[in-house]
Amino acid sequence: MLIELKNIFKWVNSGGNRFFLLKDINLKIEQGAFISVMGPSGSGKSTLLNILGMLDTFDEGDYYFNGQPVHQLKEKYRSRLYKEHIGFVFQAYHLIDELTVYENIETPLLYKKVSSPERKALVSDMLDRFNIVGKKDLFPAQLSGGQQQLVGVARALISKPKLLLADEPTGNLNSKQGAEIMELFKRLNQEDGVTVVQVTHSEKNAAYGSQILELLDGRIISK
Amino acid sequence: MIKNYFKIAFRHLWKNRLSTALNFVGLTVGLASIMTLGFGVYAYHSADAFIENKEALYTLKTVETNGNVSDQTTYPLLGEIVHSAPEVIGATHIQGWNWPWLKVKDIETQKNTKYVDTSFFKVFTLPLKYGNSKTALKNKYDIVISEEVSRQLFGDINPVGQTIQADDSLNLTVQGVFKPINPYSSVAFDVLLPTALLELNPGFKQGADWYNTFATNYLRVKKDTDIEALEHTVLDIAMRNYQNTEGLKKLRLDSFLNYREGYNPTVGKIIKGSLATIFFILLIVVINLLNLNTSIIYNRHKELAVRKIIGSGKRSLIMQFCIENGILVFTALLLAGILFVQVLLPAMNAIYGSRFGNIHFNLGSDYPLLFGYFLIGLLITLTVGVLPTLKIISFPVVTAIKGKIHNSKNSFFVRNAFITVQFALAIIFICTALILNNQIHYMQNVPLGYDAQGVSIVKLNLDFKDREAANSRIQILLEQLKNNPYVQGFATTEVIPTAYHYNYNDFYDPVTKAELNIRKGFTGTGYSKTFGIPLIQGREFDERRDASENNSVMINKKAMEALGWKDIKNKQLTEKGGAEETYNVIGVMEDFHYQDMQKSVEPILHYYGGKRGLGYNNRYLSIKTTPGKETVVLNTLKKSFDQIPSRHAFDYELLESRIHGQYKLLEGILGTVNYVAFLTILISSLGMFGLISLMARKRIKEIGIRKTLGAGVGKIAYLLSKDFIKLVLLACLIAFPIAWYVMDKWLQDFAYRIAIKWWMFLLAGVIALCITAVTVGFQSVKAALANPVKSLRTE
Repeated sequence: MLIELKNIFKWVNSGGNRFFLLKDINLKIEQGAFISVMGPSGSGKSTLLNILGMLDTFDEGDYYFNGQPVHQLKEKYRSRLYKEHIGFVFQAYHLIDELTVYENIETPLLYKKVSSPERKALVSDMLDRFNIVGKKDLFPAQLSGGQQQLVGVARALISKPKLLLADEPTGNLNSKQGAEIMELFKRLNQEDGVTVVQVTHSEKNAAYGSQILELLDGRIISK
Repeated sequence: MIKNYFKIAFRHLWKNRLSTALNFVGLTVGLASIMTLGFGVYAYHSADAFIENKEALYTLKTVETNGNVSDQTTYPLLGEIVHSAPEVIGATHIQGWNWPWLKVKDIETQKNTKYVDTSFFKVFTLPLKYGNSKTALKNKYDIVISEEVSRQLFGDINPVGQTIQADDSLNLTVQGVFKPINPYSSVAFDVLLPTALLELNPGFKQGADWYNTFATNYLRVKKDTDIEALEHTVLDIAMRNYQNTEGLKKLRLDSFLNYREGYNPTVGKIIKGSLATIFFILLIVVINLLNLNTSIIYNRHKELAVRKIIGSGKRSLIMQFCIENGILVFTALLLAGILFVQVLLPAMNAIYGSRFGNIHFNLGSDYPLLFGYFLIGLLITLTVGVLPTLKIISFPVVTAIKGKIHNSKNSFFVRNAFITVQFALAIIFICTALILNNQIHYMQNVPLGYDAQGVSIVKLNLDFKDREAANSRIQILLEQLKNNPYVQGFATTEVIPTAYHYNYNDFYDPVTKAELNIRKGFTGTGYSKTFGIPLIQGREFDERRDASENNSVMINKKAMEALGWKDIKNKQLTEKGGAEETYNVIGVMEDFHYQDMQKSVEPILHYYGGKRGLGYNNRYLSIKTTPGKETVVLNTLKKSFDQIPSRHAFDYELLESRIHGQYKLLEGILGTVNYVAFLTILISSLGMFGLISLMARKRIKEIGIRKTLGAGVGKIAYLLSKDFIKLVLLACLIAFPIAWYVMDKWLQDFAYRIAIKWWMFLLAGVIALCITAVTVGFQSVKAALANPVKSLRTE
């Protein structure tokens, strides 16, 4: 079991009222799963994803990642945990504008203090695999949206995460580019055994996953 | 990793090149100024470093019952103190008298010469390059010279034991060569001679009695000496020996540590002012960087969030910002160093050099300063790199990545407070510059009470080879002057306006016994006429009555009033001390400003200095010519003087330029203040310029929407700039009282001063506002003129 959420609540207080973002979420995600989270705007999809990615905190409940109680961990250990095991892909790509494609992909390795020759090998592999060797010295602004997202995915995968979290990864892409990214996710999931959790609005994209999770007003309404 | 940091840093600096450039310019000029001022302060503080154990070093001050304090005592006092106070380890005079011409073979030189006692080297631990400080100056005919004099006379050899001929008559033996002394040192000399030699001089010996107070004394005492007890001993000696103990209250031992500030208060002010200025410039520079960095970092919050998500720790984020700022700061520091050595230091020397000597940056000895500058650079880097980063990285990444971070009210407050402080400082400097400028202008234009126009001053003391022959030649020249139609008057005197000695004595009216301390000097025939000093009573000195005129004195109105006289009919004055001579008062001059306007007119008295000519007392030949004919007259004179063999060349100066020259130091200070005022307003404006362009970029959407809703350019420019204008107005409110207080205090130093007027502040405020308006206006109009369709699309 990679992830286990038990009775997760998250709320914000506004004007004396407690407004629930997530209500009583119970969820188990096996290693190697491919889950699509769906639901209307404001239903808590992204919040759930951020909590899974340990970027955001919750107010009540237990979260076990790889058997470790995330809710009891200190910030330092929690961030170490997500740096080790989780990769993120964003709708707006969030590449660093001042870095080239190569450098963007390399950066997570720098933070992990991977040695220089090893870094070179890993980044080259990744460029090869995503077929963007020719673009490695370009800056994000010089790429199309689809290519940028490809780099985003490459960056997320460079540190070999167990879990890939994607928040509407195809939201800013046209349908062809979106399909390519989805194919990529599927391949990663099937061939490399990466667990994928994606948030999406599109039925078509959701269909790439093995399981669909539907949220409404912070509750899971169907699995 | 480090390489990566640098790469990103460069790209960021380049991306924000406008603010980078602004920061860089402000930083470079600011740091260069800090370096220059810092070097001045450092030179001043390290100048006396060669004097060891200054705590045990004291100077003697005469304190009178009327509150007057002076540095001088009688000459024989020191010997008596050494004789009877065992706690004094060593003591010396540093006595100025004459500067003998030193000759070795064909080379001759005359340098700042001081006479000192045998234990001089015990008091001042002046390191010798050659020679033995234990034995040097023990002998009457010993001489110790500076490295520079040694090189001039002997070349690069060790001259100890060699002979120097002084004034073509005395043979002196070189006993030591001392290393160069920093020009800012409290003690300045190039040649040291023993006082034993000076005491052979009859002219000196005559005055060096227990009456005249002209000697300065330096004493080194044993550790744990009871200074109060020693002061008692000294006063006891004085009371037993002084011929005039009236009004003598105390002989105070002043620590040498306070010597320089006491000796020249202006220097103390310059140093304090420099330190304050360094601090303020540093503050302004740091504020600029902090403000700009804070703004830039808010624009970069997404990047920071992404970095955190992909694994960056807080430490590496801070590191990244520090490196970015470090590049900026240290490049600026390097360039500032060049600016400092090449431009600002020479400029500073031009201002203060003539008064205090030129200082030069010498890597070999001034390296501690480099560490200081490096430390300042590091400190700036850390401050501006860490502080703005700390806050932003503490935001939860989720909020940051969604771009939901806004400058909090708190950070706006801090930023606004910073800008206000910057501008308040700038306005204070502008006020200071304006007021000082007015004061100097006032001092230069206030009526002097005499007429300096057309008056030229010739220095008579040219060290003639044959004084007798020279005198007779000069007599002839003066006769010719009398007949020169362009010459309206001339005089040969010891004193001239702008050059009165600090020579005072007590005089009393033998009838009323009214007593007065009067400043005195020798003048003679033609003095009042040459300088156009109005006589209000009596007559001028007249060389045709030469025989009796020696008993005559002239005084100024101030003296007459202070003595309680209505007129000078049958009035006499008796000089205290020595022979108690009595003089007839023959004339009263209007109070003319014989010294600069910082000092008030004191009672003065002129003795008759003898017939016009190269007399014993006469240092200056002053000639009043028809305006415009100065050059003709003086050139003729020069030709004649050049034929008289002398060591110095004939030279003259216009009195007007001498008067002007009195304010050189003040003008130098004004120049510095002007520069600093300009600098502070420049750096502050650069900062504001950068801020508003960042702000406009951040508010680009808002501006676009407002424009589509119909707001005009003026409205939008007003929207963007009104906050800054408000801050500058606030800064004015803070700055004015401070500037008023500081300047009011400073103006107390001037005997004749302007009243501080409200318009000076108004003008300073208007200047600051105009600069702000231009700075802010340019950017906001640019932002307001942008096509809204374009700006809305970019979002």
